[in-house]
Amino acid sequence: MTVPELSGTQAAILAAYAELIEELGSDDVSYRVIARRAGIAERTVFRNYPTRVDLLLATAAWIEATLFAREESHSIFDIPLAIRDAMNRYDERPELAHVVAETAMRGVSGAAPSPDRAHLERLLDAEVPSLDAAQRRAVIAALSHLDSAGTWVTFRREFGMDRRDIADAAAWAAEAVLDNIRDRTSFRH
Amino acid sequence: MEEPVDTATAILASAVVLLRERMFDDISYRALADEVGISERTIYRQYPTRAHLLAALSNWIEQTRFPLPPFVTVSDFRAAVHERFRAFDTLPAYAYVGARASAISPTLNTEPAYITRAIEAMLEVAAPTLNRRDQRRVAASLRYFSSAMFWARLRTGFDLDADEIGEAFDRAVDTVLAKLPAATWAEP
Repeated sequence: MTVPELSGTQAAILAAYAELIEELGSDDVSYRVIARRAGIAERTVFRNYPTRVDLLLATAAWIEATLFAREESHSIFDIPLAIRDAMNRYDERPELAHVVAETAMRGVSGAAPSPDRAHLERLLDAEVPSLDAAQRRAVIAALSHLDSAGTWVTFRREFGMDRRDIADAAAWAAEAVLDNIRDRTSFRH
Repeated sequence: MEEPVDTATAILASAVVLLRERMFDDISYRALADEVGISERTIYRQYPTRAHLLAALSNWIEQTRFPLPPFVTVSDFRAAVHERFRAFDTLPAYAYVGARASAISPTLNTEPAYITRAIEAMLEVAAPTLNRRDQRRVAASLRYFSSAMFWARLRTGFDLDADEIGEAFDRAVDTVLAKLPAATWAEP
């Protein structure tokens, strides 16, 4: 996943905003408060992030790429493990998990909803090149859907699951998606 | 609108109208107040934060624009979800509101959505002897693949239309149900 290069000031702004979201339980935080927390002038925040939407999207991308960063998977069959870890990480920072989940659901003007898609495609193509286009797309779509904060939010909210149950159910579903293609790898180990 | 409606509903109805021309984030309480013909303060009284407004708006849209067809069997469930994805495609701006609202930190004491209960009930009938953990795993997976979030992710991130999303959904359902031992199924 690629993260845009940030200046030191920008990183300080995003970190300050993320901290305040967690403390206040809302992304509705004024630029003045964010500037004070980051130790900079309010107009510096405006210069870097002219609108609240700009600021929120940049913060969501920063959170996903830093606090919720995945350990790199080297096989598509490792993805369920990465998903399990990610669910545990979301559970530790619930407010931030909601921000990441919500900003990915805004359509083209929002955050990228499948930031890891290219990586998943590379892994799948290297290990299981024999899939037809529709099969390949279904596997990538399902795994990228499961490997997201939306999973944590939905399982918690709709089923009242706790951290263990969420990590278990998400990894289980990812294993189910992989079941079809387990014996179709092109490698001999 | 001819029938008299309460203020809370009038606000939602106006927000739905404004959603046709702009995104939720660009609908200010000021603009909404002008549209309804009430004061901004009245809107704040009904919806203290934008998150409250988003959640209520999503419920309203769900009821009025995307009613879920009832289902009992797995094949009815699949058909209902396909129909829903197609309805989302005809009103994408409204569907994104639903996807967003289901992702935010809950503002009201949110109960599980109707579709969640319907999926659980469907599994009770279809696989009555299934152990509880697998039942929850299956229900959660089916729920998540049938969600507005799945539609939104595949539309934005993969550039797919409702039929293609429906196909990806069917394949996901197949893989999840294939996990269960054949003997668990009450009927073929």
